[in-house]
Order: sequence, then C-alpha cells, then structure tokens
Amino acid sequence: MKKWVVNENSSLSVNGSTNINKFSCVIPAYGRIDTITLNKSKDEKGIVLSGSIDLKVNSFDCHNSGMTKQLQKTLNQKQFPLLHIRFLSLDRLPVITAKPQLITGMVDIEIAGVTKRFGINYQISQDAEKGIDLLGSRNLNFSDFNLIPPTKLGGMIKTKDQLTVAFNLNMKTI
Amino acid sequence: MKKILITGLIAGCILFVLSYGGLFLGVRFFPKLFVAYDNPLFNSDGNRDVLFYMHAFIISFALSWFWDRFKVLFKGTLLMRGLEFGLVYSVIALLPVMWISFSSLDITVVMVLSWFLYGLAQAIIAGLVFAKINP
Repeated sequence: MKKWVVNENSSLSVNGSTNINKFSCVIPAYGRIDTITLNKSKDEKGIVLSGSIDLKVNSFDCHNSGMTKQLQKTLNQKQFPLLHIRFLSLDRLPVITAKPQLITGMVDIEIAGVTKRFGINYQISQDAEKGIDLLGSRNLNFSDFNLIPPTKLGGMIKTKDQLTVAFNLNMKTI
Repeated sequence: MKKILITGLIAGCILFVLSYGGLFLGVRFFPKLFVAYDNPLFNSDGNRDVLFYMHAFIISFALSWFWDRFKVLFKGTLLMRGLEFGLVYSVIALLPVMWISFSSLDITVVMVLSWFLYGLAQAIIAGLVFAKINP
C-alpha cells in the first residue's frame, strides 16, 4: 500500500468555448491537503485508488468577473458549492521518474450533484523536489451533468457543450 | 387606431429583420464586442427569448402611437422627419434609461453606447417608415 498526499498548490482548469470566444477558468491553488491511497487490485495488474479532491466552485477564476460569475451560476454553485473528483483506479503502478510516463485510470467526477465515471489519461513524473506531478485531462460535456450551457441575446451567443477539465496534482509519497 | 396598428406592424417587421440581422452580423464579425454579455446579468437559459425577439414589435407599436400623436411637429422632408423623430425619442427616452443603467448595473461604456446607438438607429428607421406610410 502507498499513500500520496495531494499538496495545496495543486490546480484545476476548465476550458471551453462559445461561438464568439474561448474561456479558461482555473482554480489556481487547491488550498487543502488530501490523501490518495493506492492498493494492488485483486488481479494484481491494476491499482485501486481511494481518495478524492473536493474543489470549491466559487474558487474558479475565469480572468473576467462576468465570466467567472457565469460559470459559477452554470455549475449551480449556490446549491452545489463543491466539485468532487474521486480517484478509482490506475491501469498499473507507475515508476516515478523525471521522465513523464503515460498511464490511464478511472475517476468519478461529481458536478452539480451528478456523478459520472470517466477514463482519464494521466501523465506522471517526478519534479525537482522529488514530489509527484500528476497531470490529468478529460473532455466532458455540460449535458453529462444535466447542466445547460448558457446562451445569450436570444441564442445568438452560445456556449458549446464540450469542456476540457484538466488538473495538475502535486503530491508527495508517504 | 387601425392606422397606428398597421404602421406599427409594418415598422415592426422591418425593424425585426434589420435589428436581429444586424445583431447576428455584429456577433459574427465583431465578436469581441459581445464577450461582456457572458455574464449572469443577462438571461442565459433561453426562457425569455420570445420576449427578446418581440422587442422590435414592442418598440414599433409604441413609436407608432407616439408618431401619430405628435407627427405634426416633425416638419421637412421624409428624411428630416425620420431623423428628428429618432433623435427626439433617443434624447427623451433612451438617454435617461442608458444613464441610469450605466450608473446602477455592472456594464461597460461600450455596451451602453452600443445600446444607445442601436435604439437610435431603430427609432430613425421607424420614423422614416412612419413618415412614408402615415405622413
């Protein structure tokens, strides 16, 4: 069994677009410390993970106050103030080196009270301070979570359904 | 009354095409001007879209009544009457509304100016239509 401690300087970004622009909203610093536990799966091939990160929706910054408020409204921040990513599995136990390795895994993502399971492609590497950098990204849709992408001016401005969620977890092994 | 309704309907149809056509082209060719609308200040779930698209008719019927009541005050050529009518409406109705909107809402100068010019253009077009069909 191994444990990874997620540091507070981990970050998450949500990238999307409308028919007139692109937007990138970030939670630049996770702000809390969490633990992810790694265990070998029963078939000895994969790794079972347990642990999650819980992100405050009102921590998103879209670099434009109106867009930030709009994203928070679209994600129904008042009713569901947290976005959860629960780590479920990895296809193998990675050997952590400075050279990035590609691995895959499964996560549950909960947005606005709806949970969906996704496969994620990770890039994992060791940083200069012997910590672990885990980069993961996944395309998903507002509609996966029963959310309606906003439209403005009678539908002349439309937000596209697809989003890319990317996270950069900075961790240490304990 | 019938004359007011008919001229209002004709002006409404013309304004509908020009206003929303112009808006569509504006969004397409000047997208940066519209980025500020991605804000919860503006309705985003589409439940008021019908009201949004009815605006051309609401303003046309209102202006049609206004024209019928005060048309004798607008003198000169068709173009001059339409222009003066648009300017009068803009100074009396639009300018104070834009002023209070800018002072109380989190909106930009560009946004307020564009609304003023949009309303002014609508009123001038409506004035030209009224001067032509209800002189």
